[in-house]
Amino acid sequence: MRGEKVRRNRNNSGQVLLIAAFIMASLLLSAQLYIFEVGKISNETESDSLNDFLLALKLGSRHVVIGSLANISNGGQNSNLVWNLQRWSSLVSRQYQFGKNVLNCTLRETTPYASGIWISWGQNGTGVSSAYASFSYKLSDREVDIDQSYFMNITTVVFIESYYQMVSGDIKQVNVTISILNEENHALAKQITIYYKLLDSWQVPNATNNYTISDCGDGTYQASFVADIPSQDVEISAHVVDQRGIYVHANATSSQI
Amino acid sequence: MFDQKGQIRIIEAFLAVAVIFSVLLISVTFPSSPNLDNQKSLANMGTQALITLDTNGTLGNLILQENWTDIKTSLDILLPIGVSFNLTIYDDNLRLVSSQAIQNSNLLGHEAVSVQYVCAVQNLNVQFFVLRLQLAWTR
Repeated sequence: MRGEKVRRNRNNSGQVLLIAAFIMASLLLSAQLYIFEVGKISNETESDSLNDFLLALKLGSRHVVIGSLANISNGGQNSNLVWNLQRWSSLVSRQYQFGKNVLNCTLRETTPYASGIWISWGQNGTGVSSAYASFSYKLSDREVDIDQSYFMNITTVVFIESYYQMVSGDIKQVNVTISILNEENHALAKQITIYYKLLDSWQVPNATNNYTISDCGDGTYQASFVADIPSQDVEISAHVVDQRGIYVHANATSSQI
Repeated sequence: MFDQKGQIRIIEAFLAVAVIFSVLLISVTFPSSPNLDNQKSLANMGTQALITLDTNGTLGNLILQENWTDIKTSLDILLPIGVSFNLTIYDDNLRLVSSQAIQNSNLLGHEAVSVQYVCAVQNLNVQFFVLRLQLAWTR
């Protein structure tokens, strides 16, 4: 009886082997299928490089502040800065799909800034157009938690120095040196217009005044012209637009040498 | 009788081995899962190319001028040989801006990675654009 049972078990052992092989095969196949499906999900991977994202964010913030200052210095309203920054914050906050990100902007209110803007086009040979905004960026998702602050200070400064030599009578040879700085670094101009004051009106020297202007290549420009100016003091004004489109001007009184 | 039983067991064993072997063969012939390191480096390259183009405001100005040819040429230069791209540009309300395809070849049939980039234009009227750059290795 017992011997027969053992024999029957032995007879079935090949079928058990086959069933085991089938189970193993189905396990292998399902594992492979699972790996394949998991791999397929990341076929279209979003850029997860946060450093690049932050770099792009700062670059965009810089462009917004520069564009706003260019607008304001060319006659736009000061409120354009806050308006543009709000639009920028709103757009950035909508971009990151894998978590919550918030970009907050604060405009500088410390003197000489008001609403993030400082415009000083003075009589002392110096002109300043500047914008200052602080940013606070927070991002949180399943893997990272970022809280980063940065600021953008965009400043265009123009310095002018002028002297003149008497040629004959009231005719004077006027020389003007204009220096342009972007964030304290020498910068090139897109456009420079020189004015001189004649009987309470500003005149632009032209070819009849032998007007020349030379670019020294380092953000310094040398202009000269000849004009019939009766007054002892020659008032000069330089209106400059830098390569970024930011306008600034400065006035100075030319001294005789 | 006894000999026949042995032959059947050998056949059954062969069958079992054949079943497992065929499954292994099937799993090897499955398409390999995408290489995530390659995908990430491709995405980084795409973002870096856009950042380089945007550093001095060139990207924004080219978009404003609707100069799609120069954008394509710039990306051709900035991206390595063997990378195909397709750039689509939207405004801040996600309306399509680019009137024509900015691409160097078709991405169909390739594993593509997608990069989203927000661009602010530093002109007098500050404008914003959302760029979607799809990239794939073709070689």
